[in-house]
Amino acid sequence: MTKKAAFWIFLFGTLSSAALFLVLTWDMHRQVDVLSRADKLSDTVIAGKKSFEKHNCNDCHTILGFGGYYAPDLTRVVQRVGEDGVRYRIKHPELAFAASVRKMPQQHIPAAEIENLLAFFSWVGEIDNGDWPPQDSKKRLTRGEKRLVAMAGVSPGAAVFKSKGCMNCHALGGSGGSFGPALDTVGRTLSTEQIGQYIKEPKSVNPQALMPPQTDLTDRELEEVAKFLGNLK
Amino acid sequence: MEYRSQRIAHWYFRIALVLFVLQVMMGLWLAYNYTFTVPQEIVDVFPFATARAIHTNLLVLWMLLGFMGGTYYIVPEETGSEVYSPNLAWLQLIALVATGVIAIIGFLFGWTKGRPLLEIPPPLNYVVVIGALIFLFNIGMTMFKAKRWTVIQGVLLGGLVFLALLYLFGIPFYKNEVIDWYYWWWVIHLWVEGAWELVTGAIMAFVLLKLTGVERRVVEKWLYVEIGLFLFTGIAGTGHHYYWIGAPKYWLWIGGVFSALEPLPILLMVIDTMHHVKHRQTQIINPHTWTLAVGCAIFHFIGAGIWGFAHTLPQINYYTHGSQVTVSHGHLAFFGAYALLNLTVFYFAIPKLKGIEVYQPTRAKLGFWTMCSAMMLMGLTFGIAGVLQSYLERVLGMGYMTAQGHMRLWMGITLVLGVFFLAGVVVTVFDLLFMKPAVRRAE
Repeated sequence: MTKKAAFWIFLFGTLSSAALFLVLTWDMHRQVDVLSRADKLSDTVIAGKKSFEKHNCNDCHTILGFGGYYAPDLTRVVQRVGEDGVRYRIKHPELAFAASVRKMPQQHIPAAEIENLLAFFSWVGEIDNGDWPPQDSKKRLTRGEKRLVAMAGVSPGAAVFKSKGCMNCHALGGSGGSFGPALDTVGRTLSTEQIGQYIKEPKSVNPQALMPPQTDLTDRELEEVAKFLGNLK
Repeated sequence: MEYRSQRIAHWYFRIALVLFVLQVMMGLWLAYNYTFTVPQEIVDVFPFATARAIHTNLLVLWMLLGFMGGTYYIVPEETGSEVYSPNLAWLQLIALVATGVIAIIGFLFGWTKGRPLLEIPPPLNYVVVIGALIFLFNIGMTMFKAKRWTVIQGVLLGGLVFLALLYLFGIPFYKNEVIDWYYWWWVIHLWVEGAWELVTGAIMAFVLLKLTGVERRVVEKWLYVEIGLFLFTGIAGTGHHYYWIGAPKYWLWIGGVFSALEPLPILLMVIDTMHHVKHRQTQIINPHTWTLAVGCAIFHFIGAGIWGFAHTLPQINYYTHGSQVTVSHGHLAFFGAYALLNLTVFYFAIPKLKGIEVYQPTRAKLGFWTMCSAMMLMGLTFGIAGVLQSYLERVLGMGYMTAQGHMRLWMGITLVLGVFFLAGVVVTVFDLLFMKPAVRRAE
């Protein structure tokens, strides 16, 4: 092979690859609005993106799989932990991760800014990105559903909750009644002891409570169901 | 050293070496964060994110300073003339180092652009651009005035211009997160698998030419083929970062096919280096510099070629994307391809800058083998953690922190290995800063 032939290999290799790449970049711009639902890219979402960058979130968390690997991916965070879950973690990381071996900094982000961040995360969560990440794929049961399944299998409290009619008024994981509040995260606001007291005599904990006292539960059943609910955080 | 202005390179090298040590120290702190619980009070003021920004920006800064120093060393010899303006070279060095120092202090106080690896906020990033422009002007003018063009300096200049142009794509604020990442990779991927490879190819060709005395025609022919293949696979290979960002689905094919070919040019580089070493026309004066050049080629192939290939296919990448597998690849590839390249240049140029013909290789060897063994093992422990994460979190759907709990042991071992790596780096840097001529033993 001569040096001239080598030069042509270089020129052809570079230009063909660059041409392909630029044409596809043009086509990406043509398609990206649909794939990313750019019509929903509101000012709040953009403000949320700015806030996400201002607080350097991306050097601990990945989003769309890029960034720091120190904390969970945020692509589907709203779907995974819910809007309240996101708010709670940003507002009170020192409480949310008190028991965790890894902490998140308390950045004193104002409530309005947290709402912007939420809008941004919700928007990112809707991007059509080949169903990544696998752990949040809709083809699977959600983490919460799995947790409930696992608990129903091993926890007497879940069995009590399901068989004693609690779900006529209360919902868990999206199924159940809507007369009383959903109890998915009840353990965050009430301790196991308070829940036990509440079930026995609701007005003793909350004078405005509409729930009737659950007198037909045995002590053991009461204890198990309170333990079960107290762990829903 | 044949030209006075080559002296400037020495300061680029010295500062790069100090930053290298700081980068690795920050890396140890990151590994500590993965292994032990850092209390909330410390996390509030010095979070992992800040430490990571410092770790990665120091990496980029020291490597760029190394490349620039290398360029100021090589260009006078290639063109047969002094650097156009040594004063501009000094100005540029001061501007870049000052920017780096201000940026890092800024990170500590939360002054950041918030984009991973491109955290340097405006207006500081404009100073980086100005520094790069001064550099290119200085190098370009040196070549232009000398009117002596070689393939090596052409590739070098091409790579540096490409490098500077790509940085511009990281500057704007993109409203759409998808487009943001799309162009973020124009900086990151096209740097390390495009522009930096051109610079590496040119520098390596120069070092091999000088070390082996192989005919220039042969070296330059190989260089053309290598960079041709690097750019052919590397440019379209950017697609392997576009699998899961919300870009069109054909990137799975383009990215998969082109990046499967990416190990080829690196393999060619290994074969080419071996070939030149075998057909050398000159005596081996400093065997350790040869070890470094060959070690760089081999480690480059393992870290960038094999490790990159291992998780580049979409079917695998779906589970490994954004996990510690990426971290494993990143460490091996950066160390193999660019840290060792810089060290090769340093061990080639610094003895000449100091007027040492034969250097004492004892410390150099100790440092080199400690660094290489520790980094290889770190690649493995990061890799094990990454495979665990991919399987537990992504396949089984275990919670993030539960999966991290199972990986903690391996991150702890990485921390221990990191201490050994730091020791190797300190020995190497000390040796380069205070290099000694070889002692001839009396018979």
